[in-house]
Amino acid sequence: MTTTPAISIRGLIKNFGSTRALDSLNLEVNQGEVHGFLGPNGAGKSTTIRVLLGLLHADAGTVEVMGGDPWKDAVALHRRLAYVPGDVELWPNLTGGEAIDVFARLRGKLDRTRRNELCERFDLDPTKKARTYSKGNRQKVALISALASDVELLLLDEPTAGLDPLMEVVFQQAIREVKDAGTTVLLSSHILSQVEVLADRISIVRQGSVVETGSLDELRHMTRTTVIAETDHPAPHLAQLSGVHDFTEQEGKVQFQLDGDSFDEAMQSLTPLGIRSLVAHPPTLEQLLMRHYGDAATGAEEAPR
Amino acid sequence: MTTTTRSPRHRKPAVARASRLVGTGTMIRLALRRDRFRLPAWIAAHGLLVVYIGSALPQLAPTKEDLAGISSLLSQPVGRMFTGPAFGMDDVTYERFFAAGYVPYLFILAALMNIMLVIRHTRKEEQTGRAELIRASVTGRHTALTAALIVALLANIAAAALVIVLAVMLEYALVGSMLVGFATGLTGLAFAGVAAITAQLSEFSRSATGMAGAVLGVAFVLRALGDMVAVGGSALSWASPLGWAAQTAPYVEDRWIPLVLLAGFAAVTITAGFVLQRRRDFGASLIPPRPGPAHAAASLGHPLGLAYRLQRGGMLGWGSAILILGVINGLFTQAMLDAGEDMPPQLSAVFGSEQLLDGYVGFLGGFTGIFIAAYVVYAMQTLKSEEDAGRADTVLATAVSRMGWLSTHVVVIALGSVVITAVTGLSTGLGAATVTGEWELVGSLFLAHFAVVAAPLTVLGLCAALFGLVPRVVAPVGWLLVALIGIVELFGDLLDLPEWLRTLSPLWHLASVPVEGFETMPMMVLLGATLVLLAVGLAAFRRRQVNVV
Ligand SMILES: Nc1ncnc2c1ncn2[C@@H]1O[C@H](COP(=O)(O)OP(=O)(O)OP(=O)(O)O)[C@@H](O)[C@H]1O
Ligand SMILES: [Mg+2]
Repeated sequence: MTTTPAISIRGLIKNFGSTRALDSLNLEVNQGEVHGFLGPNGAGKSTTIRVLLGLLHADAGTVEVMGGDPWKDAVALHRRLAYVPGDVELWPNLTGGEAIDVFARLRGKLDRTRRNELCERFDLDPTKKARTYSKGNRQKVALISALASDVELLLLDEPTAGLDPLMEVVFQQAIREVKDAGTTVLLSSHILSQVEVLADRISIVRQGSVVETGSLDELRHMTRTTVIAETDHPAPHLAQLSGVHDFTEQEGKVQFQLDGDSFDEAMQSLTPLGIRSLVAHPPTLEQLLMRHYGDAATGAEEAPR
Repeated sequence: MTTTTRSPRHRKPAVARASRLVGTGTMIRLALRRDRFRLPAWIAAHGLLVVYIGSALPQLAPTKEDLAGISSLLSQPVGRMFTGPAFGMDDVTYERFFAAGYVPYLFILAALMNIMLVIRHTRKEEQTGRAELIRASVTGRHTALTAALIVALLANIAAAALVIVLAVMLEYALVGSMLVGFATGLTGLAFAGVAAITAQLSEFSRSATGMAGAVLGVAFVLRALGDMVAVGGSALSWASPLGWAAQTAPYVEDRWIPLVLLAGFAAVTITAGFVLQRRRDFGASLIPPRPGPAHAAASLGHPLGLAYRLQRGGMLGWGSAILILGVINGLFTQAMLDAGEDMPPQLSAVFGSEQLLDGYVGFLGGFTGIFIAAYVVYAMQTLKSEEDAGRADTVLATAVSRMGWLSTHVVVIALGSVVITAVTGLSTGLGAATVTGEWELVGSLFLAHFAVVAAPLTVLGLCAALFGLVPRVVAPVGWLLVALIGIVELFGDLLDLPEWLRTLSPLWHLASVPVEGFETMPMMVLLGATLVLLAVGLAAFRRRQVNVV
């Protein structure tokens, strides 16, 4: 039971006509974890999620959701999961409250007290017709409905696009609660601070394939740390070390980028020089991502056709 | 870029007025580009009607005597109800027959073209949010409406010119042909004005279209009742824009005055549209929203309940329109019987019977069948909208299966069609019985309606199959089929349409009760075909991807 991953995708390929949206994508989401799903616009996040929902058919590769095939076992699986799209469209002539109930009931079970409690926490007036809702309020309808359903897996595609910062806090709290209750969450998002706080593991997708996966710590380890040190004696020879990059020296201060596995070597070279101060910045998620997002632009031109 | 002169802050008030129209030229080009296939098709349809009738008439009635023989079809009250005031039928010519029998449908075509055009480029754009980006760019409050109306004007000019040229090529008199063309174009413009108003009233393009369509329906009924009273129409005929268009009496009296009325009506409605638009916010309607229930009724938690709720509005709208039309037709029975004494034998071409009453009863069943088929196509189109808007995604991401989603909608629409047909049949019968005192008409009209219900259901099956296989073509193929069913039913014999064309209409295969005895066989075949088509649709929808362009 605990051994089956909540989501397992191997070599997923999806074409739309001549464009390849997903190119041998691999993704594994363990049970009970919050998995951040990041990538630049058009990378294939929404497409992946729609394949996981059985709305799109995989052209090649194997896709398993909670041990089932999302295309064949769609209905059985949908009883156990909830989906929040990034752009929620509601029926204009139904109220928000009605829409919440409809989605939750169609899924199976609606926890009425939790639903009312969530409406209150998200500060949503459920008596308004959906056409009068702002974008953020439409988003809340889908979120409340998903969170009020007792499910094992949440597929969230930019769920808080349009929520104000206060609601963002409520959202993060709610996700922590469902996580404590054992729910698995796949969270596609462009809000890095949100992913940084919530996600146990992160996958970065670029041009249709996952280019990096791991916990934030693991990802950090694979990237360079910025080190700034003041030493009694000048330290120009540091620049020769293999793990050191972008070395600059100014008025007794050195600054360089350090590979994750070269710390020991660098520190041993620094210590004899008499360290007066030392600051090391681990890469932020933003820096991690910028590497991939930045590449995306050039990579697109190089992409073999 | 920095040299643009548009800098509203430094404008004087006089210029600010003009700024409400900034960008109109671009919007017109955008509209023409987006409608580059649709609009020419609508305009061509006008021309096609003229050419087809023009060439079919001499074949249908090769001599003047033949033509005189069938002209009483149009001059009888029933004929006048469905066509118009029937000017000049005592000295009939091809052009007069054309003007009396078919030009009224040219007016309706023009009205429909304009209603859809204006709503499509105004309210529909606002509802989908596309207009928001446009409004946020350098365009004014009135830009979209102005552009839509100018495009409508251009389309009307093109349609009118085409009609005039083709009529003159048929060697119809020039003045009369010009009247036909102008009346067509101005009727179109008048309903563009109606749509300019209804676009302000509702937030939904569909209800805005529906309201404008209802105005067209009322105009038709007023004209029908007015023209029924006497040849040449009565006061009531002058209460309807469609009546004014017909009162031009082309090729007979050649009146120009009614055109002034039409132009005035267009001017007033268009002005009203702009005034109303100034009073409302972007994306809003003039009818303010009310709060609703905080919790969904239990029935909404089931796919069938949800499908019913989503289909309910369309069902009620179409149902009441069809019902009203039926009741009017029923109340008309006595007037038709009174006129029936000197009814020509040719009328049997329309009613398919020497027995006038039976023929009328059977005809009304088929008449309702056409509109039920139209309702079915409309309702099936909403499924495509659900999918395009992404709402189908969200529902299908719950435990609702593809089968469940599609089949519940189909079941609701099917039941809706049957119920509307039955209620309309009964009410038409009650109307007819009230005016004639013959209570068995209730039963026979109910049966006449019941006998045709398999035809719209076949249309439903076809739409479902198309939705599963190629969802893009549900609307065009569906509406084409409805048009075909209508043409075959109303004009099949009159126009002597070829056999193969008639067989394409499911309605044509069903017996016209009570003129013919009720036949189970064709009905069973159609229902069988419906089931097969439904199965194909469901199977195909299970296999295809959702919401992929
Ligand atoms: N229905 C479709 N038809 C054709 N191409 C599509 C379709 N859906 C997605 N694509 C293409 O697939 C690629 C991946 O799109 P996708 O929506 O999955 O990106 P995303 O990672 O969700 O981006 P964003 O962050 O902007 O939401 C894009 O190149 C997009 O243009
Ligand atoms: Mg996306």
